[in-house]
Amino acid sequence: GGECNLGLLSVLQKLKGTTESVELRIVLLGLDNAGKTTLLKSLASEDINTITPTQGFNIKSVASHGMKLNVWDIGGQRKIRPFWKKYLENTDLLIYVIDSADKKRFEETGLELEELIDEENLKGVPVLIFANKQDLATASPASEIAEGLNLHTYRDRQWQIQACSAVSGEGVQDGMNWICNNIVNKKK
Amino acid sequence: MGCWFSKKSKRKSPEKEPTPKTVEDKANSSNANNIDLCSNTTEDPPKQYSWDKREKVDPKDFMLTGLKNATVGRLPGKLNGQQFVIQDCDNCKIFVLDHSATITIDDCTNCCIVMGPVKGSVFFRDCKDIKCVVACQQFRTRDCQKMEVFLCCATQPIIEASTGMKFGCFQYYYPELAFHFKDAGLSIFNNNWSNVHDFTPVSGETNWSLLPEDTVVLDHVPAPDPESEFKSVRISAEASRSIVPMTKGGRRKESDESCLFVFFSGDYTTANARKLIDELSVCRGSLVRARGEERDGSNTVTQAYCLFHNKASGKGFVLIQTKEVSMRPEDVSRVFQNDAEGLLEWITNGPVTALELNGDGVVEACKSMASDMFSGTKVFVSDNRNTSSRDVDNFFNFADMQMGL
Repeated sequence: GGECNLGLLSVLQKLKGTTESVELRIVLLGLDNAGKTTLLKSLASEDINTITPTQGFNIKSVASHGMKLNVWDIGGQRKIRPFWKKYLENTDLLIYVIDSADKKRFEETGLELEELIDEENLKGVPVLIFANKQDLATASPASEIAEGLNLHTYRDRQWQIQACSAVSGEGVQDGMNWICNNIVNKKK
Repeated sequence: MGCWFSKKSKRKSPEKEPTPKTVEDKANSSNANNIDLCSNTTEDPPKQYSWDKREKVDPKDFMLTGLKNATVGRLPGKLNGQQFVIQDCDNCKIFVLDHSATITIDDCTNCCIVMGPVKGSVFFRDCKDIKCVVACQQFRTRDCQKMEVFLCCATQPIIEASTGMKFGCFQYYYPELAFHFKDAGLSIFNNNWSNVHDFTPVSGETNWSLLPEDTVVLDHVPAPDPESEFKSVRISAEASRSIVPMTKGGRRKESDESCLFVFFSGDYTTANARKLIDELSVCRGSLVRARGEERDGSNTVTQAYCLFHNKASGKGFVLIQTKEVSMRPEDVSRVFQNDAEGLLEWITNGPVTALELNGDGVVEACKSMASDMFSGTKVFVSDNRNTSSRDVDNFFNFADMQMGL
């Protein structure tokens, strides 16, 4: 990860003709129990000790690297995944969260991600995949998960897989650093 | 590890890694090491994280797979907060008598399962005919049928595509259980066992219901076979011994009169709350005397408390719900309104522990208890039966909002 090039960021702001900070619309998806809401609260530096399964969605605005991230955390139960596509318009970035220690559902999450990547509203949209729950004993490493997802076949967008443990926060900021660097590079 | 599923992989040739054919491909794929697996934007080599540096463990040590007709599990101290996985088990009695990070249970049938406190989620998938005792932060099921769950859950339990699900209040004891609750970061006073959310409700049917109040846990989730490895563990499922207080939850209240009793954070808050519960509420079962201890991180005894229930003198009130939650000054004003001023300084040391008790005459009984037993303790008690329902609503509505984002 590295630091964000603030010089380029201010160039970007000048190009926009405003000193307002850059705003990104981010959608946070993944199977139920992947750790999306824990990740959201971690990004917002909030307490993660008592989190309830998401029934609809949660939104938070988070300041990061001089940008304002509007993050939509959508419930991932099988029954409500058809609603995901309703949240995708004008998305600047997809964050997809995977429970690295739930091998039983690797195929299921791979299928869901693949369907998302095919969505018209996500054409060309960068995707950051968090291989979450790395703290757990049966967690697969991020590289294995990347292989299983066939990420190397993604041709039309930038992507990154980031190992993390949302409950401790480890790895989360590195993912956010990638976002910052990637957005600046993309808009150059 | 191979490809789990990809429409694209099925169309591709069998070679493992595509050779870059164009300039663009070359730019997008990186040098042959882990970097190219993790990103298609040029990056520094991946960092080393704590999971890269720690001693490797064998995942199989944390899994029970494919067992039949067996009594298995983990004794106290043998899991120590790690993940646990149970899959493809049939007709087993499973005792996970330690705290854990998270537990998934897949494709099991006809099993009895006891789970010590789980810091994260318990997730049942594709299970049938399960009876279990569970304490956790989140409780989830998908594609399950016919389960009986004696539950302590810090958040709202959820079910999906599941039928015949029955819930009762957690009721269990073994000597280390109180410590395991602390290790898992769970409060015995935060138990939303009776308000379940169904993601796939069916009109005209209910996929879940509450177990009868007088259900005897050991009739459904028997104690371990005395010849098993668990014979040394002193287990009890009597209501009066349960580490988690029995709450009526969403069941219909018998009286219109409720009382809010709040203990502010102090040295003996848990012990005091237990004392109040045992003095005032009905416990089924005979006279039981037990002494419990609480230990801090260095294993020093910080509290000793005595639980006793004397059926003859039981006051007959009912414990509806409990909550352990932190309050900020603005919460105090909203919840306690006219009484708020004197209480503001008491919220800074730690969370409050609140109880709702129900029954005719409960407010007077609580006020007597407060002056007889807790005169030196920082407490709030509803003042009269006309305003006590409002106290209860104000407090527990506030507490419920804390559960959400």
